[in-house]
Amino acid sequence: MGENLVSFLEKTPDVSHWLVLSSLLFSIGLYGLLTRRNAVGILMSVELLLNSGALNFILFNRFISPGNIDGQVMSIFVIAIAAAEVVVGMAIFVALFQQRKTVDVTQMNMMKG
Amino acid sequence: MDQTMELGFALKNAWLILALPFFSFLIVGLFIRPLSKRAAGIVATLAIFLTACFAYRLAYEYFFTLPGALEGIHKAFVPWSVEWLRYQENMVVSLGILTDPISVMLMVVVTTVSSLVHLYSTGYLHGEDGYGRYFTYLNLFTFSMLGLVTAPNIVQMFVCWELVGASSFLLIGYYYDRPSAVAAAKKAFIVTRFADLGFLIGMLILGFFGFQFFGELPASVTQGLQPFDFMFLTHPEVGAKFLAQGGSFLGISLVTLSMILIYMGAAGKSAMFPLHIWLPDAMEGPTPVSALIHAATMVVAGVYLVARMFPVFAVSGDALLVVAYVGAFTCLFAALIGCTQDDIKRVLAFSTLSQLGYMMFALGVSSFENPLGYTASMFHLFTHAFFKALLFLGAGSVIHAVHSNSIWDMGGLRKKMPVTHVTFLIATLAISGIFPLSGFFSKDEILSAALESGHTNIFVVGLVVAGMTAFYMSRVYFVTFWGKHRTEGAHHAHESPPVMLIPLIILAVFSIFSGFIPFAHFVSLPSPHGGEGAAHGGIDLAVALPSTAVALLGIGLAAFFYSGDTSRIEALSKSLGVIYTTIKNKFYIDEVYLFVTHKIIFRFIAAPIAWFDRNVVDGGVNLSAWGTRKAGSGLSRTQTGQVQTYGSWFVSGVLGILLVLWILSFERH
Amino acid sequence: MIENIVHTTLFYLFAAFAVLCALAMVSTHRILRAALYLMGVLGASAAFYVLLGAEFLAGVQILVYVGGIVILLVFAVMLTSSNNLIEEKPSLLRKLVALILSASFFGISSGIFLGATFNVSSRLSGASSEKIQDTTAAIGRALLDQGEKGYVLPFEIISLLLLSALIGGIVIARKTQPEGGK
Repeated sequence: MGENLVSFLEKTPDVSHWLVLSSLLFSIGLYGLLTRRNAVGILMSVELLLNSGALNFILFNRFISPGNIDGQVMSIFVIAIAAAEVVVGMAIFVALFQQRKTVDVTQMNMMKG
Repeated sequence: MDQTMELGFALKNAWLILALPFFSFLIVGLFIRPLSKRAAGIVATLAIFLTACFAYRLAYEYFFTLPGALEGIHKAFVPWSVEWLRYQENMVVSLGILTDPISVMLMVVVTTVSSLVHLYSTGYLHGEDGYGRYFTYLNLFTFSMLGLVTAPNIVQMFVCWELVGASSFLLIGYYYDRPSAVAAAKKAFIVTRFADLGFLIGMLILGFFGFQFFGELPASVTQGLQPFDFMFLTHPEVGAKFLAQGGSFLGISLVTLSMILIYMGAAGKSAMFPLHIWLPDAMEGPTPVSALIHAATMVVAGVYLVARMFPVFAVSGDALLVVAYVGAFTCLFAALIGCTQDDIKRVLAFSTLSQLGYMMFALGVSSFENPLGYTASMFHLFTHAFFKALLFLGAGSVIHAVHSNSIWDMGGLRKKMPVTHVTFLIATLAISGIFPLSGFFSKDEILSAALESGHTNIFVVGLVVAGMTAFYMSRVYFVTFWGKHRTEGAHHAHESPPVMLIPLIILAVFSIFSGFIPFAHFVSLPSPHGGEGAAHGGIDLAVALPSTAVALLGIGLAAFFYSGDTSRIEALSKSLGVIYTTIKNKFYIDEVYLFVTHKIIFRFIAAPIAWFDRNVVDGGVNLSAWGTRKAGSGLSRTQTGQVQTYGSWFVSGVLGILLVLWILSFERH
Repeated sequence: MIENIVHTTLFYLFAAFAVLCALAMVSTHRILRAALYLMGVLGASAAFYVLLGAEFLAGVQILVYVGGIVILLVFAVMLTSSNNLIEEKPSLLRKLVALILSASFFGISSGIFLGATFNVSSRLSGASSEKIQDTTAAIGRALLDQGEKGYVLPFEIISLLLLSALIGGIVIARKTQPEGGK
């Protein structure tokens, strides 16, 4: 049992482990995206999705071409875009809140056919 | 044409003759007209004057500087063309300029009359609301007409043919708030369109065989040509082949059939009987328009088309006979009606019909053995353009002063409007064929052509009509300018402004002197075997004396009946009774048309079709609209406005694609 | 070998932490706690970056994400909440659909990942000297490199994007007048 655990732990996680982790985080984010009623909560879920995307960039950088830096640079861009997105999203929600006194997305159904 | 030949400026840049009026049309219509009416008139007029100068230069280069030109040999060639439609190899239609004697002659005529009419119109339409619109249309017309006369192939000619029809429609309907003008515009358009149907079918038959023969004929014939080019279609070998291999339909050879169909188009445009009904009504347009379009230029397009296709007409002798007899009949018929009309413009319209009949039968009686009629027809076209435009512009000047179209509202204008009077007199004498005015020479040539070709009956008709022409024109002249003032309007009439008188004077000069041009030297039927057909000019005394005598007789009669007291003519018309009424009502042709269209076509053909359209076709359309609406309202339920529902659908779509790709990747391994 | 054991243990620890935080984040109805849990996920991600040898990225992650973005989100929550910062529960149907979709996404994607063979670099297992040691300097050079493999143009575009997001955020969130004028 102890030996098994040691031999299990001696083998560092390879690329598919990391990928499964990131896809698990992505799926959870997706669930939040589809169920959250508060718009800010949706924004948080989107952050989770972006974060798992950035994680993918870095792990591929690490495992596929460790001699390069491109994946990490891409992650920086992802973080920057996430920041921009949050700023604009927050501004929109604040404006929306001033108009409608709520940010519940289920109540925003003016496009109903 | 010789490739190495040095062309002059105008021939090298022949495209300018179309580009100038076209761009003037665009610029005036789109940019200047909304800004300033006055500027629109000035720019349009200047552009056409420039075009006219260019046309003169081109005519000079064509007739005087080309090799062989001074010996009277004028070859047809295409100085400029661009490919327009390429259907397939050997089936190409181009846009271009064809220069041959008749096209160059018509360029001169069109630009001259058009520029003078433009100038005249700046005075005639002064202060009207549609001033800018009018000049835009007039420019469009000039462009289309020039495109028509310079067309190197029958397709370009057809396109421009329709364009002149459209601009004629627009200009007849210029006073669109008058129901009569709207009706006249529609009538002109529908009648000519109906005739153009014949043109189109004839053109297709001709084009079909032309294309077929194009591949079969030796390269010496087809060199540098395309199947729709006039230079190819009128080539003698094509005509011979057409006659031999064209086959026949219902007992008529196809070459005759296609030529008669094309002649139908020509007859519609040139208002030959029985398609003449639109032209008198077209006088609802402004008078300068009548002068330009319905007297000098557009209506001669039919004559021009027959002249252009003459070698093919000649191959089918029957088609040419049709041209001759329809022309002669129209000539007589219109002259008869012209003697009874009271509206000054209508008299001129029927006179135009009659003169067009002259040109047509002159073409109809000519042949390669006897080519004088061709020259005579073109000569008459040339001189007629000037004196008929002058007559119309003079009539316009009178109408402008008196504010009425009826000659019985005028009278005694000789003193009040001296310049108009003198120029109108010159034009009247010219159209009557009095020596030495231009009409004398051309009419004389037509009559001798008819006599020489052996069509004595047509010659007699021509001679009689010459007398009638002199009679009805002098009638208008005497009633309008002599006697006493019949109305207040005539009493207060005064001479038109100089801007209207200058074109009158210039046209009068043309009307006097254009007869002295040795026309046969410039325009004659190109003989099928190269070289020039022998066409003699000069005056044939055996024809000139009787025709002058008849003309003088006509003038004398008119003077006797109309110069002073008119009770004599009233008595005469009463004594003629039914005959007079019938003629005065234009032989009730309009009524016959109305009966045929309203009572027969509308009731038995159009009404069932309308029912079918309203119930079956519209029903189908409504059904599909109903289905679309139902489907739309059904689908709109899916639009919940819930962004997360949309998101769920989106994610399911992505998952679906992912799944498919995954499964496909299994198969690949 | 002890290095490997530590590495692996840390990976599973942080992974469990991150997943738990993420689950808590999407299921809590207190929106401020959700922000806190997000912070936990992002912090765990920073630890992942360290494990993956991207130390600079880990710093950026902490500074920008945890320190900036999450704080901004908390502001957003504060500015827009009306009823005690508690979110109403989503409908059961929506939860069910979202669960099915996200579970099948996870299933499909991990199926793909586990079934695929990646062209893992051989240098990874060998001498670690071939890896880039000073990633910070390398990223800095790459961002400002004007050559073929440089990122100076995207870098400038991103900076413009941030600027416009800044201005746009101000313009949008500015107090708007009720309709009908001032």
